[in-house]
Amino acid sequence: MEYLSSGKILIVDLAAGETREEELEDDLISKRIGGIGITTHLLGNYKDQDPIVMGCGLLTGTLYPASDLSIITAKSPVTKTVCHLPVALKAGIEFKYCGFDYLVILGKSANPSMLWIHDGVADLMDASAVWGKDVWQTTDAWRKEMGDDLIQTLVIGNCGERCSDLAQVSVNYWGSGDIWGFGSLFGEKRLKGIAMRGMGLLEVAEAEGFVDHSIKVLSALKQAPWGGKTGITDIVTAMGRQDVSDWMAPMVHRNSSSYNVPYPYSTFLYLDEDPALLKEPEGVEPGIMITSPYVAIAAKDSGMSASEAFKTIRSCLRYGIDPEAAMQISAAEGKKTRGEMEAALDSMSRKDTVGSRPPFSHYCPGHPLFADFGTGKDSGDFEEWWMRRQALAYLFGVDPMFMLMSPEISAQSMMEAVRLGTGVDISEETLNFLVTELCA
Amino acid sequence: MGVRVNALTCTGCMACEMACGYHRDDAFALLSSCIVAYRTREKKDYFGVILKEEDSLVIARPEGMEIRKIGDAGGGGGDSSAKPMLLRESCDLCAGMDGGPMCARFCPVDAISVE
Ligand code: SF4
Ligand code: SF4
Repeated sequence: MEYLSSGKILIVDLAAGETREEELEDDLISKRIGGIGITTHLLGNYKDQDPIVMGCGLLTGTLYPASDLSIITAKSPVTKTVCHLPVALKAGIEFKYCGFDYLVILGKSANPSMLWIHDGVADLMDASAVWGKDVWQTTDAWRKEMGDDLIQTLVIGNCGERCSDLAQVSVNYWGSGDIWGFGSLFGEKRLKGIAMRGMGLLEVAEAEGFVDHSIKVLSALKQAPWGGKTGITDIVTAMGRQDVSDWMAPMVHRNSSSYNVPYPYSTFLYLDEDPALLKEPEGVEPGIMITSPYVAIAAKDSGMSASEAFKTIRSCLRYGIDPEAAMQISAAEGKKTRGEMEAALDSMSRKDTVGSRPPFSHYCPGHPLFADFGTGKDSGDFEEWWMRRQALAYLFGVDPMFMLMSPEISAQSMMEAVRLGTGVDISEETLNFLVTELCA
Repeated sequence: MGVRVNALTCTGCMACEMACGYHRDDAFALLSSCIVAYRTREKKDYFGVILKEEDSLVIARPEGMEIRKIGDAGGGGGDSSAKPMLLRESCDLCAGMDGGPMCARFCPVDAISVE
């Protein structure tokens, strides 16, 4: 594929310590579009070799609004089904610009290892020095070692190393939508993580047309009803939890956005500095970023003060455990203080089996946010709508949370962007077939 | 006339950086942009935007804007680690582009103005 793509698939064999490249065929894109259309295909191709597959959408990293997303697809140890982990913030586009559209990780490494992908080069490297380190220490160590603070990481902490199915693959420092225990899959492979830095260039088939189309969508979005709303606080309010918003609001420093996402839902809380501080703080680690409304809700429902609850969340992020699940398990076990919860992290495990879950992360609420999608205001059942919106996001590379706020980002609009950007005309039949398959 | 950024409105989304890269390369890339979202202090949540003009660097920080003459001590290039700001082209206000400055058009929160 010549446009909006590097045209390459990277295959990493951890057992052999080898990497190789394959061409991404145009025919595959015509049939499976991209994103999870292709990650699921590759997962099937390598199903006997313990695969984890990462990929991006055709729109990822472009000027199409909210085009921040890459995805990791694997069989979840929690659900025993194929699930997809959204990789947003700035990590989703870093992957796209690294020189590979897809990454297939096979087998197990004998020793701790890490994958360093940058500008079309993939290095499988020893990670013994960071094995045993937490998520924050590992990201810091790799950024320092490579001499670049903009390196994006997908990394496990101690929780992943002990192969707990509560372990997350964390994006940089901030956890992720990993409710699938993908962190334990990395741990079993003795893969500490992936470091990414990409400075590539994406050619566009009809560049002016693509840019005009994107600006039209953005202009329509700027009239959207969420104008003026911001952060996780307004999202939890829209979910009926104004109490959570009020409780955490005094700690909010700033809200920021994933790449090119109009709504800033990454909310940074200062735990050790004055949240009103505008200057660069002297403390190196003054707080945490929250990107999931459910983490905020679990923190509130722990019964602790906001300060203590979010300091506990910080410990979870460092340890690489799903913070929402950890808070819920701790509360169910009657733990009431930060000290009790932190002391339990090393031995924490899921008590109940998890029933069936959709293949998309529930860090995005299961209903429209702020916007009217014409689904019928009284409808309490948004499941089918939600699944379709998530499938579209994960197929094209658009932010899954923003998909809940933006009827302007329709299937037709994304298909048109792909047509202008790549010259590939995707039929509605192909799209509907794929969405149905991916939601099954 | 020049591009100005309200760093308190800015959400660090990088759309301006990509839009400027498109203006330079007719493709999507970040290396040629003369406007860059600086984000190296991720753990501190300290971010803003830096712009290269002909004679100066405009640094939009949360606490206020600083205009630093190129050649003065410091240089300000450390905020964009991929390629130092001083090695980048200067802002030409998107001369030749229909619709005007691309960074302002693509900023989703209207943090960029031309003054
Ligand atoms: S006006 Fe154009 S050249 Fe100047 S910073 Fe914005 S996009 Fe770049
Ligand atoms: S596009 Fe606007 S919000 Fe995004 S980084 Fe640039 S100035 Fe900030």
